[in-house]
Amino acid sequence: MEATKGSKPLVAVQGLTFFRDSRAIFQDLSLSVAQGSVTAIMGGSGTGKTTLLSLIGGRLAPAQGTVEVAGELVPTLSRKALFALRRRMGMLFQSSALLTDLDVFENVAFPIREHTRLPEPIIRNLVLMKLELVGLRGARTLYPAELSGGMARRVALARALALDPLMVMYDEPFTGLDPISMAVIVKLIRELNDALGMTSIVVTHDVAEACSIADYIYLLGDGRVIAEGTPADMRKTTAPEVRQFMAGLPDGPVAFHYPAPEYVSDLTVGATV
Amino acid sequence: MRIVGIVSGLGRRVIAGVTRLGRAALFLGRLAPGLGIALMRFRLVIQQIYMTGVLTLVIVLVSGAFVGMILALQGYNTLVRYDAQSSLGLLVALSLTRELGPVLTALLFAGRAGSALTAEIGLMKATEQLDGMEMMAVDPLPRVVAPRFWAGWIAVPLLAMIFSAVGIIGAYIVAVGDLGLDGGVFWSQMQSGVSVRDDVLGGLIKSVVFGFVVSWIAVFEGYDAKPTSEGVSRATTRTVVSSSLAILGLDFIMTAFMLRGL
Repeated sequence: MEATKGSKPLVAVQGLTFFRDSRAIFQDLSLSVAQGSVTAIMGGSGTGKTTLLSLIGGRLAPAQGTVEVAGELVPTLSRKALFALRRRMGMLFQSSALLTDLDVFENVAFPIREHTRLPEPIIRNLVLMKLELVGLRGARTLYPAELSGGMARRVALARALALDPLMVMYDEPFTGLDPISMAVIVKLIRELNDALGMTSIVVTHDVAEACSIADYIYLLGDGRVIAEGTPADMRKTTAPEVRQFMAGLPDGPVAFHYPAPEYVSDLTVGATV
Repeated sequence: MRIVGIVSGLGRRVIAGVTRLGRAALFLGRLAPGLGIALMRFRLVIQQIYMTGVLTLVIVLVSGAFVGMILALQGYNTLVRYDAQSSLGLLVALSLTRELGPVLTALLFAGRAGSALTAEIGLMKATEQLDGMEMMAVDPLPRVVAPRFWAGWIAVPLLAMIFSAVGIIGAYIVAVGDLGLDGGVFWSQMQSGVSVRDDVLGGLIKSVVFGFVVSWIAVFEGYDAKPTSEGVSRATTRTVVSSSLAILGLDFIMTAFMLRGL
């Protein structure tokens, strides 16, 4: 489990079970994220990857099992303690979730202004430093509506970094980006993780990008972990459901056809009625 | 069978309505602590008063002036039959401060600013801005919803007073300029006939209540909206419809109590 450093994991999920309505999204799911690592959580659409981030961030509560972040049991925390913990985690939403009535500078300044009482010159410097990290110091006066998708995601990243978090959770950071923006985000996730001594959790279904930056990969399916390992392990594995996902094959254990009645009898029904 | 269907359909609607009212009340309870927190950051409230006030000011000024002018024409037409046209100023002032100022302002506010408020909060929800705040350990209720609620509540009475004042000026222009009434009589009748306690304060109480209700409905509908474009558009419509009905219904109740001297 202790993939890279052998230290205590920053995030530990044990026996997690979660239902949405009456459908089980997770059943007895366990995984851990080592401190200082980039861990990718992969899986097809609808396997609950984003839900897992909501559970780690304490926005949803599990039916069973434990979610531990930095030694604290997330589902048992009071709202106040949960908010204190959230100040130490950054989250990057797929939609970037920038505040549309504020410009880039104020968006990055937002968490700093909300949580600290720093004088204006210091806030200015902090914000410009975060923007410099993502290469958008020159874009500080733009509004979210004027940004491209890739730029918006970088601003959201700068904002997630504003309070110097222990870890950052990325929800589908590569989706819907052109190749250049994608390469920028890939580079940023890895470099910021190492330079700032953070831990990163990347939820994605982009195999190539995940393999290029992750230290450890979990592959989810049917509400549990169906495979885990380093990118090299994952490529070598022969398990058919892993091979299908890693190589992007249209048919396999995950069937091409949605469950349906038998084809011929389904077609002949029309003739007999 | 059809009667059973009608009755059960009616029952379903009533239950749905009552449930919705209950949810709105629970929401207000959750918002209450945030209202206190928002007051301590009054700059945010002022910002929102500015936004909603500016949104509604022009329409209130224009409508107020027209309503005043119409009141003058209609009132004169009736009063002149009894040779009582000297009371025109009093009639206009009473109509505006007691009834038309608070009610029409609240209706205009619901249509212009209330719907915008719902759409804004609903869209913030649909675009994950509220979720994003939650994850930044910022509670959106005191930060986003409460200042907007205060702003609406404070803006409506202010706008109602502006509406009445502009209406009276409009009426004066028509009465003195067009109908040939004496300006001094117009003002002095008004001054001696309008009671601050019964008329002006009564109107103010009404507009404070309307401001509370319209803002409550607007922020609740926005916060409760389904986070899709269809959900937000439905919520916006519901804000205008429910606010208008609530304003008129409450106006009837409050007028009945005020006239019987409670």
